[in-house]
Amino acid sequence: MKTVRKKPGWQIIKNQKQLIFMSVPVCLYIILFSYIPLWGWSMAFQDYKPAKGFFEQTWVGFKHFIFLFSDSNFLNALRNTLAMSLINLVLGFVTAIAFALLLNEIRITSFKRVVQTISYLPHFLSWVIAAGIVQMALSIEGGIVNTILIKLGFIKNPVMWLSKPEYFWGIIGISFIWKELGWNTIIYLAAMSGIDPGLYESAEIDGANRYQKMWHITLPGIKATIVVLLILSIGRLMEAGFEMQYLLRNGLIMDWSDTIDIFVINFGIGQGNYSLATAAGIFKSVVNITLLFSANYFAKKIGEERIV
Amino acid sequence: MKRKYIGSSIEKMLFRTFNTAIMIFLVIVTLYPFAHTIAISFNESLDTIRGGIYLWPRVFTLYNYKAVLSNITIYNAFFISLSRTVLATVFQVIITSMFAYALSRSNYIFRKPITIIVVLTMYFNAGLIPVYFLYKNLGLINNYLVYIAPAMFGGAFNFIVLRTYIRNIPESIIESAKMDGAGEFRIFFQIIFPVCKPVLATVALFVAVYAWNSWFDSFIFCSSKQYLSTLQYELMKLIAIANIAQSNSALLRDAMASGGEAAKSFASPIAIRAAVTIIASVPIIIVYPFLQRYFIHGLVVGSVKE
Amino acid sequence: MRKEVTIKWFLLILVFLLSADFCFPSDRSEGKQKLYKVSVFILTPSQQPTPDNRVFKRIKEEFGIVFDFDIIAGDANQKIGVMLASSDLPDIINAHQRFIDNEAFIPLEGLIEEHAPRIKKHLEQCWSLITHDDGHIYVMPNWGVYQGDYKSNESLGPAFWIQKAVLKEFGYPEVKTLDQYFDLLIKYRERYPTVDGQPTIGFEILCEGWRDFCLKNPPQHLIGFPNDGDVVVRDNKAEMYSDKDYAKRYYKKLNELNQMGLIDREAFVLSYDQYIAKISSGRVLGMFDQKWNFQRAEYSLKKQGKIWRTYAPCPVTYDESIKDYYMDRPVVNVDRGFGISVNCKDPERLIKLFDSLLDEEWQKFLQWGVEGEDYIVNDKGKFIRTQEMRDMQNDPAWKQSHTGLSFFDESTKLEGTFSDGNATSPGIQPEEYFESLKPEDKEFLAGYGYKTFSDFFSPPPPNPPHYPVWSLHIPEGTPGQTAFLKYDDISLKYLPRVILADPKNFENVWAQYMDELEKIDIPAYLDAVNEAIQVRIKKVVNN
Repeated sequence: MKTVRKKPGWQIIKNQKQLIFMSVPVCLYIILFSYIPLWGWSMAFQDYKPAKGFFEQTWVGFKHFIFLFSDSNFLNALRNTLAMSLINLVLGFVTAIAFALLLNEIRITSFKRVVQTISYLPHFLSWVIAAGIVQMALSIEGGIVNTILIKLGFIKNPVMWLSKPEYFWGIIGISFIWKELGWNTIIYLAAMSGIDPGLYESAEIDGANRYQKMWHITLPGIKATIVVLLILSIGRLMEAGFEMQYLLRNGLIMDWSDTIDIFVINFGIGQGNYSLATAAGIFKSVVNITLLFSANYFAKKIGEERIV
Repeated sequence: MKRKYIGSSIEKMLFRTFNTAIMIFLVIVTLYPFAHTIAISFNESLDTIRGGIYLWPRVFTLYNYKAVLSNITIYNAFFISLSRTVLATVFQVIITSMFAYALSRSNYIFRKPITIIVVLTMYFNAGLIPVYFLYKNLGLINNYLVYIAPAMFGGAFNFIVLRTYIRNIPESIIESAKMDGAGEFRIFFQIIFPVCKPVLATVALFVAVYAWNSWFDSFIFCSSKQYLSTLQYELMKLIAIANIAQSNSALLRDAMASGGEAAKSFASPIAIRAAVTIIASVPIIIVYPFLQRYFIHGLVVGSVKE
Repeated sequence: MRKEVTIKWFLLILVFLLSADFCFPSDRSEGKQKLYKVSVFILTPSQQPTPDNRVFKRIKEEFGIVFDFDIIAGDANQKIGVMLASSDLPDIINAHQRFIDNEAFIPLEGLIEEHAPRIKKHLEQCWSLITHDDGHIYVMPNWGVYQGDYKSNESLGPAFWIQKAVLKEFGYPEVKTLDQYFDLLIKYRERYPTVDGQPTIGFEILCEGWRDFCLKNPPQHLIGFPNDGDVVVRDNKAEMYSDKDYAKRYYKKLNELNQMGLIDREAFVLSYDQYIAKISSGRVLGMFDQKWNFQRAEYSLKKQGKIWRTYAPCPVTYDESIKDYYMDRPVVNVDRGFGISVNCKDPERLIKLFDSLLDEEWQKFLQWGVEGEDYIVNDKGKFIRTQEMRDMQNDPAWKQSHTGLSFFDESTKLEGTFSDGNATSPGIQPEEYFESLKPEDKEFLAGYGYKTFSDFFSPPPPNPPHYPVWSLHIPEGTPGQTAFLKYDDISLKYLPRVILADPKNFENVWAQYMDELEKIDIPAYLDAVNEAIQVRIKKVVNN
């Protein structure tokens, strides 16, 4: 009985030995470089002192987690993180896909190439430079945003955008798009180039217009990519970045600008408190992984492409 | 019939105008920061701090570039960065795509567990200290291999991107190859690899840009061996030096002695940052137009049809 | 067959990879066996010296010591963490509190007593101050140990700064009180609503990140106390001042001034770069700041020829009966500098090296350079530099090949006056200083009958024994330190609101601010500070 059951398994393994050879060594490699260091998570339950060995550390249980969740600043940071990454996620997806679709409609190849190359340039600027430009653009003394809005008659007096908490998340969202739009689009363009041109030809013969082709050919052609990237990004909702927020933050808006990462910099790493930083990291991972599997499960339910 | 034709041509014109307008707007907003940075990099640094430089330098100078390029260390660092970028890209593209191919086979027995193992790596971070211990045990500290050994696999994101693309390739091609008796390796290298050019180009770009921009590994794992420094780290040091000269009173005192006159050649952090940004990014930006052709035309599918 | 091809592929890549490694051999030193190779870790960013660097060449020739520098740029917190955890510690380490706390250093006092008479003599005046509770000295301070007479020409420290043009306009008045100071700003701004075509900014406040001392520190000076950071120390006891009435008085004043439009509307959202840009435009009449923090803007103003738009200090207080205490005497930079790590094989040789470098001849070489190349001696025996030499010193490539860079910055060094009467560094040589003054500056100083800008301040009394609080060690991760971080955030959040508030609402917003401060454990912070003060006082008294 046993041998009979075992045989097909071994048979499959034998048949798939090339696939195994392609993937198992890589998997072991990943375990070595990504999973083995996870013992470091034990720091979250210690008052970790770097100069001491593992067995000399003081174990403190959930002390650092309790510190995090009893701190109103941390809860604030949690809210800000989720809100900003949600905004960035939605805006990022919509604009990148729309931009890819519009680029796809350009007939003149050289123009298309130039636009696309230029649009990805801001990705290479550091956040410090990007933040400097944002601050300059939003200034009340000759900042371009105020100048244009006044000329168009939307506002009468210049607005001090960076002093108003209600605008901050939006400013971050727009800054992210401005910096990363071209970069984010690349992946959809790659997906689009995999679509069979024959489909467009036959649709044209059928008299489909531009929008019908977009809707019935292009979008379905990149749907798998969209869904997969969406699932991956939903799993990263706890990562809102921190550079831009850190550089643009000031006393008037810090209740709305500080993310978990900024909290960790201030109270964890910056104070040599590696344990607190690790605890925050574990919390983020747990939330992220939960979100990932929820999104994946949902995609499975509605019959879409999924990660696992 | 006629009316419809006119209508659609007006619509076409409107759409084109609208689309072109959007594209031009995007070109302006995205070109501006770069052009601005270039202008600042060519502007005299004490003049720059007054603000008000937009797209053209006010007081032209090559000093900022001279200040950066006179550091002999950056030339060695350039080759370190270049070599690690090329090696990491070659390894990651081949290994990750092969791995993605294996895991795109729906009947593959270990598909699910391995996929989960890989995807999860995107969502946690063990922290620096245990990683340092691992590298130390592997002998990677102060070793060039620290740039390569941990960077052989392209990461979960690139893996998923590749796998999604491979899954979209019609199964019939692979099936017919199998009928001809081809093994998985042959299918991968002879059929999948060429068909995947657009996505491989994309992943290559992601990997190359990431490798080129990396500095943290230099900083943590190789900082005591300067000949192993990457370009980004050496350039970052120059910015840090310019910053410290601005906020360290002990250092300032000496500059003060000679008054504002002599301090004119002091490069300010803003100017150095601009010059550094241009020097660091131009080599990698140039890569893009070369890769671009792979995914701006749909040449791939043609080969599938054959 | 196919497999073979693949394997060849991999072999090829492997060869490629290994050859890349061989291009960069891990050890480049060859030849002389006697050379002692010393690894040095430095936290102050600087260039690596060139291979033929004048200073390090001489050290190699005279002492047979070569350095392998690890000069970092980046987040020191991360780097220090892994260094300590892995005990990958170089021979010489640029001190950071965390190295001391984690016992990375060897005690130096015995080595100094035995092998280093010059260091011993140099550090004698602060010996017990730099000795830790366990009786050991771990770090040789990099700055602040003076010999001979120290006279500063100019204070780089805090003050209410005012444009020289404003003082000139009103006939060089004495500015003693805060009200006098602001009255001048108001009157000048009424007279000149624009400067060079742009609106005049009466008073600027920088509150970005760690530079928010421009917003938070004034109250202590207004009641006649020196810069102790966020506390005022009376009779050796620290008090937090932000919740006191004398602090409220200052912010109430700012609130009124804001209503009059004197304060820059953008003040609370300015980045540091924007702040410097505004000052460099010459239209900011005054601000509270430490001079080193806006120095660069002054360079720019001088370059533009706007000498009258540069600043003079006003050490103002609430009323004339309070004596100003802005300028202080140099303080020893305790626990900053070099220490020798527990991994070092031959500490004796290193301490002897540092001792030799403290020799006056070496110090002249390190701080001034070579006579005839970097400075000349005038007929009175004083060292001066020609303009050409000064320009040369500012060339980064020249610095890289001719100076000790941050190795010198972090080494313990002579400061003050050499035995021949020359200042130890060009920065404090009076001849060099007067040479640098513009005709406008001379006219301005003559208007007050002063010789240097230091004369605006009351001469500083000897520093109080505890001074300064900002260099006291508050242990990381303690409730006191967490409370301080929170206090910092709350002030940054509320002070702008207090200043911007409608005057009718001022009391309300202030009360909210006080409520928030109540919620944090400030006593824990004060206890920690007071404990540290007591420890230091004991040391200083013992000296």
